[in-house]
Amino acid sequence: MSTDHPVDPRGVRFTAWITSGVLSVGLVTGSWRVLAAQTALFALCAFVGLRMNPWGQLYRKTLRSHLRELPEEQGEDPGPVRFAQGVGFAFTLLATVGYATGWTTFGVVTNALALAAALLNAAFGYCLGCRLYLLVRRLAPAGSPTESH
Amino acid sequence: MSPGWWTLAGVSLAVLTLGALLRVRAGRITTPGTFRGEERGRRPVFEQLPPEMAEALRGAVRPHGTEADAAVTLVQLSTAFCAPCRHTRVLLSALAEREPAVRHVEFDLSHHPEWSTPLGVHTTPTTIALDPNGHELFRIRGVPRREGLTEALRSYVD
Repeated sequence: MSTDHPVDPRGVRFTAWITSGVLSVGLVTGSWRVLAAQTALFALCAFVGLRMNPWGQLYRKTLRSHLRELPEEQGEDPGPVRFAQGVGFAFTLLATVGYATGWTTFGVVTNALALAAALLNAAFGYCLGCRLYLLVRRLAPAGSPTESH
Repeated sequence: MSPGWWTLAGVSLAVLTLGALLRVRAGRITTPGTFRGEERGRRPVFEQLPPEMAEALRGAVRPHGTEADAAVTLVQLSTAFCAPCRHTRVLLSALAEREPAVRHVEFDLSHHPEWSTPLGVHTTPTTIALDPNGHELFRIRGVPRREGLTEALRSYVD
């Protein structure tokens, strides 16, 4: 199983801003290469681990030392965040395929949806993919209940 | 402007609107009549729930036998590692400490996912205010606003 530590929510939003930037560039240029790069990043975070996220590393190296220490209990559950990266992966993959095969409208729509979700997270701290995670868990509750605290 | 720019502008506008709407809606007080028809709020919440849930909630409202010692019980429904849930917990427990007629209990929905549908709770945190008989007085989705909540409680605790 994953050994991800609780994640810093400020780092998540930092990443979401950069992702929004990349997805905006993708939307304006219609370049499948831009989308492919973002797809690879999402895949890294979702399937390998959030620690692999280069923007997260950039955040830890630059901004975090200037911010106040994050209290232990303020950490986010990495589960929903990783799941959301997986949702992002699915959408950007579709957009990449759409642009690459000349099915541009499809590419634009999926790219726009991914951008909307990233922007909502960056600007408002509202993680659509994380909500989806709760919904999915509710429909198919995890087999072993976690212990209460 | 190319179509890409238009789409970008459209998405940004949509996200701004949606985000603002979510902000406005969060923390607002909803009374039972305004959602899910008339059914909710008329009957004690216990009667609408499966026995095990009803028992747990009954115990929360009346922990010391049958004598109700709090006029309002704020039942907070949370999920693990949810930042707004922590803010809500801090706010509500402080309120309950100041106000003896108010009790605060918290349930973790990640341990009881089957509760969400019968309670009609689809976002966390959601806080349901119950009277000693288990009638729903109001509910709040998101982090409650202190002033609004104090105002809403005033008519029940005096």
